[in-house]
Amino acid sequence: MSTEVFQEEFARLVIDPDFRDDVRARGPAALGAELSTLERERLLFVAGDPGMDVTRTLHKGFRLGKLVGQLPLTYAALGKPAMAREVAEFWRLNPPTTFYYLAEAIAFCDFLIERLEQGMEANPYLAEVTAWERAGLELLRPRPEGEEAPLQLVEFSHDPLSLLAALGRGESPTLTERPCVMIGGYGDGKVEWRLVEDAPFLSSSRP
Amino acid sequence: MFENSTDSIPIPKLGIGLAYQPALRPFLESRGDTFDYVEVVPDILWTDRGARENPRYIDDQAGIDFLRRVAAGRPIVPHGIGLSIGTAHRFNHGQLDQIEKWHSWFHFPWHSDHLAWNLAEHGIDELNAGVTLPLPRDRKTLLELAPRVAEVRRRLPVPFLLENNVYFFSMPGEEMSDAEFLNALSETTGCGLLLDLHNVYCNARNHQTDPFRLLAELDLSKVVEIHVAGGMEHEGWYLDAHSGPLPEPVWELLRYCLPRCPNLGGVTFEMLGSWFVEMGGDRLAEELLALREAWNRYQPSPAYLIEVAA
Repeated sequence: MSTEVFQEEFARLVIDPDFRDDVRARGPAALGAELSTLERERLLFVAGDPGMDVTRTLHKGFRLGKLVGQLPLTYAALGKPAMAREVAEFWRLNPPTTFYYLAEAIAFCDFLIERLEQGMEANPYLAEVTAWERAGLELLRPRPEGEEAPLQLVEFSHDPLSLLAALGRGESPTLTERPCVMIGGYGDGKVEWRLVEDAPFLSSSRP
Repeated sequence: MFENSTDSIPIPKLGIGLAYQPALRPFLESRGDTFDYVEVVPDILWTDRGARENPRYIDDQAGIDFLRRVAAGRPIVPHGIGLSIGTAHRFNHGQLDQIEKWHSWFHFPWHSDHLAWNLAEHGIDELNAGVTLPLPRDRKTLLELAPRVAEVRRRLPVPFLLENNVYFFSMPGEEMSDAEFLNALSETTGCGLLLDLHNVYCNARNHQTDPFRLLAELDLSKVVEIHVAGGMEHEGWYLDAHSGPLPEPVWELLRYCLPRCPNLGGVTFEMLGSWFVEMGGDRLAEELLALREAWNRYQPSPAYLIEVAA
């Protein structure tokens, strides 16, 4: 039983900086009562060892690399400081559970969209870009044989072509109003997008 | 010959392997003359959707088809990342099911995973540290590993190897040195060793130890595969970054090991796909051919020749 607790707390030292700081500050009191004396001694030693910092850096770099790699435009639209702040909060609420990070990237998009709906300050196109990248990942989500990816509809109020292209080039986009919908589908091993204007379901087309 | 639980299994002398990365696909297709087998982290060619999903695993059929095509008769050797054999709260039987399926597809001569753990119990869920974490070098650890290695060996009729890990800290009160622990592991569980020389070099450099002493103390007859790679400095640490050609000290370790590992089946070069652009195809080919030259010079048997379909 104590080995399970030892490993959970060891993993938390790698994953959770608040826990590591707590162990450094409070010592044995921050650790589980079920641990053996040796396990407690090892966790206390490792928590204070510079090798734990580099292990955490590797963990964080790997996890962040997966997120940024799958959401390059959201990252570009957010900017580095805001991305770091939002990712830290997202990770605080969502510890890593798998090596497969597509689902985590989708969950991060949902987290960001919810934050925007709650009034988070951001540029006017972040929600559209995040929704579009989320939809692209949803189309790529591995599915059992025979199950098709559902079509994805992403509503834009700005011209998506110039917006996405500018972000992709690492430039600040010049916004042009263009209410439209991007419809994404998956076929022949790739994601395809179609732009539809004046669609009756567009919120801007509704009376 | 290497003993498994029931029979003596001959280890084929495969020669030089290249670790598969999607970014290496063009190289794998065009420079088949530079490698003798392809090593694959099989976990990147399936998705584990978690224990609550049915089916749990979704295979990347396009990736598997690519492997079949590019291997063109060469062996495919799986090197798993997901077994987390040292995890205390459960054994990853699903991973074994997947490896068993791969064996029915590719009939590989051996398979391997990491002597480490990355999964930990956490409430009703699990934590995945995303990095391979070291196990304490204790007799207790060996007792916990033994039934798991036995199950892997029971399920698959080919040798199972465990790879020495890289670590950035030691733990107080460990009972054995690296070599003593690896020797005891192979002796008591019957697993073979995948000796990662770049990990040996990283640990020696970061902890100021003598890598040749470790190799001198290690039972090299248990080594079935060797990994080599390049790394990089980061804030005073040397990282196992798989970031390019072998540094000279790793070549020296390889030259020491090659004539001393009688059951060696292959030497695999590992490089992350993201570094391929920087290294380039010509430099990668040069490195692989240099490895093959070393293999041919030091190994008692010639590299296993494979007929490649035209």
